[in-house]
Formats: sequence, C-alpha cells, structure tokens
Amino acid sequence: MKRKKSLGSGFLFLLIAGVVGYGVGLGLDLLVTGRPHFSGSVPSAFTILFAFTAFFFGIYGYRGITRGLVFQVVGTLVGGFIITGIRALMGLSLFGGFFFTEPAWVLGGVVGAVSFLFGVGVMSDWVKWARGIDTPEHHEDEPGWEKYFGVSLDHKVIGIQYTVTALFLISVGGLFALIFRTELAASGLQFLNVDMSLFGQTGPQLYNTLMSLHGMIMIVSILLGIGGIMNYVVPLLVGAHDMAFPRLNAFAFWIAVPAAVLLLMALVLGGFDTGWTGYPPLSAKAPVGMQMFFLGVFTAGWSSILGALNVIATVIRMRAKGMTAWRLPILVWAAIATSIISLTATQLIGLSFQLVMFQRLFGMGFFDPSKGGNPVLFQHLFWFYSHPAVYVFVLPGLGVISELLPVFVRKPLFGYRWIAMSSLGIALVGFVVWAHHMFTSGMNEYLRVPFMYSTLLVAVPTGVKFFSWVATLWKGKITTPTPMLFVLGAILVFLLGGLTGPPNATVSLDLHLHDTYWVVGHFHDTIFGGFVFPFFAALYYWYPKATGRRMNEFWGKVHFWLMTPSFLTLTFGMMRIGLLGMRRRIADYDPALGFDSTHLVLTICAFAIAISVLIFFINFFHSLKNGEVAEGNVWNSRSPEWQVPSPMPAHNYEIPFEVVGEPYDYGLEGSKYIEFVPAQGGKH
Amino acid sequence: MTHTQDKKSMLSQGVFIFVYLAVLTALEFFVALSFGSVPVLVVVALVKAALVLYYYMHVYQLNAENESDENSYEYKTGTNRLGLWLFLISDTFVFGGLMVMRLNLLGLTRPPLNQMLGLIVTSVLLISSFFMNRGETLIKNGDRKGFLNNTLITFLLGLGFFIGVIAVEWRLAAHEGLTASSGAAGAAFYMMTGMHAFHVLTGLVFLVIVWVNGRKGLYDEKHYPVEAVAVYWHFVDVVWIFFYPALYLIGTVAG
Repeated sequence: MKRKKSLGSGFLFLLIAGVVGYGVGLGLDLLVTGRPHFSGSVPSAFTILFAFTAFFFGIYGYRGITRGLVFQVVGTLVGGFIITGIRALMGLSLFGGFFFTEPAWVLGGVVGAVSFLFGVGVMSDWVKWARGIDTPEHHEDEPGWEKYFGVSLDHKVIGIQYTVTALFLISVGGLFALIFRTELAASGLQFLNVDMSLFGQTGPQLYNTLMSLHGMIMIVSILLGIGGIMNYVVPLLVGAHDMAFPRLNAFAFWIAVPAAVLLLMALVLGGFDTGWTGYPPLSAKAPVGMQMFFLGVFTAGWSSILGALNVIATVIRMRAKGMTAWRLPILVWAAIATSIISLTATQLIGLSFQLVMFQRLFGMGFFDPSKGGNPVLFQHLFWFYSHPAVYVFVLPGLGVISELLPVFVRKPLFGYRWIAMSSLGIALVGFVVWAHHMFTSGMNEYLRVPFMYSTLLVAVPTGVKFFSWVATLWKGKITTPTPMLFVLGAILVFLLGGLTGPPNATVSLDLHLHDTYWVVGHFHDTIFGGFVFPFFAALYYWYPKATGRRMNEFWGKVHFWLMTPSFLTLTFGMMRIGLLGMRRRIADYDPALGFDSTHLVLTICAFAIAISVLIFFINFFHSLKNGEVAEGNVWNSRSPEWQVPSPMPAHNYEIPFEVVGEPYDYGLEGSKYIEFVPAQGGKH
Repeated sequence: MTHTQDKKSMLSQGVFIFVYLAVLTALEFFVALSFGSVPVLVVVALVKAALVLYYYMHVYQLNAENESDENSYEYKTGTNRLGLWLFLISDTFVFGGLMVMRLNLLGLTRPPLNQMLGLIVTSVLLISSFFMNRGETLIKNGDRKGFLNNTLITFLLGLGFFIGVIAVEWRLAAHEGLTASSGAAGAAFYMMTGMHAFHVLTGLVFLVIVWVNGRKGLYDEKHYPVEAVAVYWHFVDVVWIFFYPALYLIGTVAG
C-alpha cells in the first residue's frame, strides 16, 4: 500500500488522533471518577500520547519512531494494568486521581520506555546476537530524509538526530519559559491564577510545574545538543569511520526519546513543584508528575552515560595514524573531559532520584527524618552529579570556541597544551565542589570553607582558557562571519557568567545571594556563554559539512544581533533585582518591591530572544533546500573533515589520513596538519 | 608475569586465588566476631577486591599492546574490553553512592541480620566466581564441554545466591521486624541487597545466553563473549566483597 507521507498528513493524523485520545481519556476518567474533567490530566495525557504518535505515523508510516511510540503507549498501559491487577488481588484501591495509581504509573512508565526501545528496533541486533545469530557490521541507510526517523548506525545520522531532538526540546523548554515569564511581567497573578485549572493544576501550581520542567527539559536538550556535536564531529576529527560502538550509539540516542515523553507526561499528570532539583521532603509529597519526572531524568541519564562511554572508547581506540595526545583537536580534549564526568557522576543523580522514588513507593525512609533518614544526604548525592553537570554542559562549548577561534583569526591557538589540560582540570576539580550549593542547607558548617576554596579553584583552569582566547585574538586577522560572531558572543557572555561565579562561591556572600534572581542571572550567563552561543556557532559552522549548503549569512547576523543584547539585558536585569531581593521560583512578588518595570523589560527581552531563535529555525530549515551551495572548504580550515567534499561521504574518509603536523598552525608558512595516505591492502 | 596461557598453570592459579579469597573471607568473619576492627575489615576487603580484579578479571589485559589491523577480531576485542570496563567504572558509582548512603544513615551500626546466612551466601557467590574462572580458562583452551559444565555450576550457584538473598534473607529480616519501611536500617539493607541482586539477575541472564550459544560451538574460536560475562560476574562479586562487610560485619547491631 502506498500512502502519501507528508507534513500535511502528519498534522491531519495528529488532529484526528488527538481528538480520539481526548475522547478515550475523558471516557476512562469519567468511568473512574464519575465526573468529566474537560481540562484534566487523563484526557490531556491520552491526547498528547495519541497525537504525538499519529503525527509520526502521518509523515513516516508504521516503522522506526512511530512503532517505538506505539510500543511505548501500549507498554505504559500494560504496565499500568499489571499493577492495577495486582492491586485488585491484594484488595487495594484500583484507581487514583490520575486514572492509574502512582505505582501503576511508575511501572507503566518503565515498561513503556523499555517497550519503546524494542519497538523502534534499536535492540534487534543485540537480541539476534543473544540468540547466536550474526548480523552485518553496517546496515545501509535508506537515502533521503527518511533515515532520520528510524534506527541508523551511522554516527553522522545519529548526530543529526541528536541535534534536531535537542532543538525541538529547546523550543519546548523555551515555550515554557515564555509562559511563566509572561506571568511575571507584572506583579499579581494575571493568567496563571487560582481560578484556572489545567492538567489537574491551578495556575500557581502550573507555574511551578512549568518553571521546574523548563529547567530539566533545557538540561536534557543541552545533553542531547552535546551528544549531537560530539557524535557528528568527534569521529570526523579523529579520522574514524564511525563511533566505537555504533549500536550502543543508536541506543543512547533512542533512549532519550522515551525520556522526553516521560518528562512531558510529568507536565500533564499533576505536575510537581520542587524546581528541577527535586529536593525531598517536598518531592516525597508532590503529585504523580514527580515520579514521571524522576523516571524521565533517569532514562535521559542513561543516554548521557552510554554516549560518553562511546566517545571515550572512540577517541582511545580509533584515532588516525600519528594523532598523538598533543595533536588531538582541542574539541576532542573537551569531549573527553566532558565524557569522564558524564560517564561516572551521572549515576549519582539517577541514584538519588531512584531513592526518592522508592521512598514514595515503598515507604523506605532514606530522606525521611521520622524514620531515621537524612534529607541533606539527598542534596549531597544530587549535587555530586548536578554541579559537575554544568561542566558537562560548558566544556564542549568551550572546546568549540577554542576549535573555531584560530580558523577565524588565522593564527595558531595560543597555549594548546594548557587549554587541553585546563579542560581536564575543570572536569576533575568539578568533582570536589558540589557542596557549594548547600551552604544554606544546614549541612555541617566545617564543610563550608573547604568547598568554598575548591570552588574558587575552578576559576584557575577557566582563566587559562580566557587568557588563551585573548592571546589568540591578539593581532589576528579577524573576520566575522556568523559562526565567529557567536564565538565572540560566547566569550563575552561566558566571561560575565564566570565573573559572577566567585561571589556565589564565597560563603559569606552566598548566604545572602542563595535562591535569588542573582543566581538565576549567573547560571543563565554561564549556560548561554558555555553552551547556547557555542552551540549556535557549531551549527552555523558545521551546517555546510552536513548538508552541502550554507545557512543564510544575513539572517544569521540578524539572529546574533537580536539575541545578544536582549540576552545581556535579561541577565543583567535578573541579577539587579536578585541583589535587591527578588527570590527565584515564585509566581508572584510584592509590587512594593518596585520590580514591576524591570520584570516587564525582562519579559520583552525573553520574547526578543524567542524571535531570534525563531529566525534561526526558519533559516535552518529554509537553507536545507535553498541555501547557497557550499561543497568545499568554506571556512578555509585545516581540520581533516573540511579537506573532503561536503556533505560528508557515507563512510567518512575514502582515503584515510595521517597526522603530520600541529593542528592549529594557522598562518605559518609550509605547515601541514594531515596528509591523505591510501591504506595498504584495501580500505575499511 | 602471571600472564600465561598455559592451561594447567591457569587452572591452578584459579585454585590458589580461590584459596586466598576463602581464607580472607574466614579471616574477616573471625575479625568481625572477635575484636571487630573496622580498618582491618576494610583492608581485607580491599585485598580481596584486588585479587579478583587482577587474577579473575584480568584488568592488565586493558594495557595489552595491540598494533594489529583495526578491522581484526583482536583489535575489536580490545575495544570491547575497554567499553566493558568503562561501563563497570560507571556502575561502580551506583554502588559507591549506595555505600555513601549506608555510611551516612547508619554510621557504625548495622542492621540485625543472620550472620550464618550471610556467610553462606557470601561463600556461594565466591565459589561461583571460582567456577566462572574455570569455565573461562577452559573455553580459551578449546575445552567446550568443561566450559559448559563450569558455566552451569556458576549459574546454579548464582541462582542459589539470588534465592538465598531474596527468598530467604529478606523473609528472615522481615520476620525480625526489619522491613523496607521500618526505618533507615531497613531502607539501606533492602536497597543495597536489592540493587546487587538485580545485577546478579542480569548476570544470570548473560550466563544462560553464553551457555546456550556455547553449546552450539559459537565461542570455540571467538571467546570474548565468555570473557565479558566472566568479567561482569566477577564485578558483581567484587561489589559483594564490599557490601558483605558493610551490611553484616562492621560496627554494632542497631538498637
């Protein structure tokens, strides 16, 4: 049967299935509660699950991601009904306020996520191996765009899958921010007020949910964005024909999709109000959405862990000939440093969330003082990952800055070895700074000063990077195409983020700054400077490599010049009102504080950023077909991936290369980084 | 050094290491019952873990020089080996986190548990590691039948450990009033043994897979999958080498 697949039929199916899902959800809810909840959780949950799945059915048919999502929906229901059945046997209540009871939703979520992986087909080769059946090492992808919706083992395809999913989640998280930012534009509760009810939540509750999910969805999108950069670029930079473990690579990407679905389920299943940190005791009492949030983060964590494992193995085992440690591209050093953290520390956020899950499900008293538990223990476990996590976010970004800067100033990178070591230095020092998030938590006071000093120590390797960038720029022949603009923007914004860090690290100041908008401004600066700006730089820079076309330069510059000033105003404003006493994570504030006008400006800035990102999206998709053709070495780079035509051939380098010189000797007469040497005895 | 492929010396090495481990386990049991010195228990556990890591898990193989063709089976095996060890490092952080949780919540007290049963399940797991090592050595020397028999024994012992913890120990503890919701000691005990038992369960699944495929002769030439299962199985043993004293031996029984 040939059916036309297009975006149009995708939306058509989305509408139909959305209505059907809404009806099913409303009916089930009515059956259980006896009252119709038109904007309640259950109809919304079914609407989202059905519509999401049908959309992909419309554009892609019943295979790949569609099959995965169908499996996830069915798996969720099966898991839920298993627990409901067990409860029936035990004589417990069958249904709760969100159709299923909490344990049923949790097992449903687990079974759903596992089913997705089987449904999408990422496990099939492993299942065959377990049954003793051999499979070919590579599977050929279908041509065209359709390969991006199913399992591919090609690291370039997976890199693009990561990137596009990251961009999708960035827009979702950004949308959430716009909603609650609009509410903050004036004091008082305007539209997220106590009279409204959506997804089983009142307005202020919804504010809390959106604020919390904004944090975590952005974090997941950043992790996926990093996965995108590292997957696409690292094998190309080291001259490998793929990642070390292609199936694990596909698995690491695809497990992030059910994670994203679970996070969105958290929104509709009653939400939660803890912020992204999920501290008990509040998280031990929040609605079912909390459990979906924990599950989603836990699942996304595996994506990060396994992706990191793959990057480390790839760099250690699959480098081109002659690529010694001191001739590795600087971005690869950053990727290694990041991966060391993701591989190890991520387990601790998974564990801490798992412990709260079990505390809720089985009454285990880990963090319950009345049972001899310790709530502060959660914060130790949680921050052991969640602080190093910010270095996971920024290190690849800082690597991108160091990688691109020499290309656009036509000068050698200043202090290559110092930069390489500073990435590792940040990663390792990052493991011993976590308790600076806990100066006000009531932990033992003698821990404060050591953690203050270890935190301040981070400024040293970070400073090394700044001096190197400034020295690289010094007397360079600077050109400013869009990627370079974003690199310069990143340096400026990350500098502000860096300079506002030490005040937070200092105990005496932090006791006052803790949980104010000052902190919000500070970390938005670090994340934008360390991830968002470099990410855009990387997208503009490697876009021709992936597509064979350039993004429009004019609209790229509009994107930059709209986003940068708005963003700087936004964070300066946040820090200003933070110093004056504006607390974070609240839906309303006292008009007598006089913040109304500042908040209005901040909201306008937030919308300006959103418009600039919208321009980026239009540019991104429009240029796929209409961009200027760019098949050569667009940026005149020395890096190996630019020495072959774009878009990159399916198995990367037809002729393998050997490293014969230093990577960043731009502008030096007669210097050479790589040489293509035909392999003896055939190619890969 | 100890890196020998000679079948006979490999097998006898396995026996010697097992004897060391058994003696050390008896020693820690004795120390716990007599003068209960925590530093001695920690040192004994570290020595045991080092023995398993080096002689049973062959950690030195990670460093094996491998200049052969990138597409050869040997080179890919080296990459797989690295991948597995990276995974184990990652997994160590889960168990490390659980250990931190236990020390933070319970300090130098321990849950009220049946000492004899603890010693029995620990010995069962240790003996299973011995047979796993034998099975791995035999398949590397072309003895399929010996490999199958030893893997089967490993599986049965592993299953015995699993049942001993989940069906017997958990029930006895609950009978004594130590339940998941009874307090911090119960929470720590069920969480640690549960997470470890989950790993044992996955190890048992892997053992079944290599046994079934091994019977078809899949590993006569390419025996890395057997090695991977063995390394994973020993890793689960190493975790228990630390969890056993942490739950059964150190400190005094809580109120």
